[in-house]
Amino acid sequence: MHDGRFDPGGFYEFNLTGGMIRTRNGERVVVLSEDVLSSLVAAAARDGDLTPLRRLGELLGEQVLASLDRPASVLSAEAVLGHVSAVTSLFGWGRLAFERWGCALVVALRDKPELDEDELGAAALLGGMFSEISQRQVSCVPTGDSKFVMVDFEVAETVWGWFKDGADLPAIVGMLESKRAS
Amino acid sequence: MTDREDRLRSLLDKVRAKRPGERETHAAEAVDRMRAGSGTVQAATQARPLSEPPTSPQVESPTRYSSQPPRVERPLSVEPRARSAQPPSPPAAPPSQSQRPASIRAQSVAPTGQPVVYATDQPEFPRPKTFGELLELTLSLRPR
Repeated sequence: MHDGRFDPGGFYEFNLTGGMIRTRNGERVVVLSEDVLSSLVAAAARDGDLTPLRRLGELLGEQVLASLDRPASVLSAEAVLGHVSAVTSLFGWGRLAFERWGCALVVALRDKPELDEDELGAAALLGGMFSEISQRQVSCVPTGDSKFVMVDFEVAETVWGWFKDGADLPAIVGMLESKRAS
Repeated sequence: MTDREDRLRSLLDKVRAKRPGERETHAAEAVDRMRAGSGTVQAATQARPLSEPPTSPQVESPTRYSSQPPRVERPLSVEPRARSAQPPSPPAAPPSQSQRPASIRAQSVAPTGQPVVYATDQPEFPRPKTFGELLELTLSLRPR
């Protein structure tokens, strides 16, 4: 990764003889249909345990970190986005983009698999991925229209409650304020 | 002897009494010339007037101080030296608009080889935030 861009070439290694697919980092992956995956995610959401999807997100985050030549925190948002969106696309999870709403960083995930109505499966995946990338506990809370606001895990439940009560993304951002020590 | 000769003689006596010597000679000559012809008396006195004490100059136009620069009817002729090497224009030709002195430009007064120093710094554009800074900002959000 000399020019800072993600190289998708040779990302997957297909072992037809052994019946396995591995990433170039060695993780074994399984190809699932969207229908099957959505059933599994819907069941996990009902049970309130989305840990497997968060773990899958962490694996994607590891792929991103392996492709970076420097820590993500010192890179530009555009550079990180290039790698994150490439890995997300290679795993078939749609087109990822960043948006800034005031102080809030928002992740937009278009054309993602239709898993559950509340988009909690995608939220768990994104939360696991960005926690791995940033080495922080990050929560991505659904705010509608395939957008997820990135917040600290301690306020995630509150923000989710606002959205369930009918607040849209501008209203949610308006109810938040930065508490960063200057 | 006329009255005019009498006045001159008495004046001569006064001068002779004060500074005998050289002035006596000049005064005697003047009297002699007046005797030769009365019409030359006035001319002789004007040719050699008696020295009068200098009077203090009258102040007719006081020095005026003004904060405004003096008005210059024509711009100063500051032309590049290279122009002096050109053949001079015919002296009879009146100066036209195109031959007016060149205006003073900044580079003509700047020392050669020294850069122009600007008084203000270059404007600084805001540096784009890194991903880490954006993450810190969004993770610092709390309910109002």
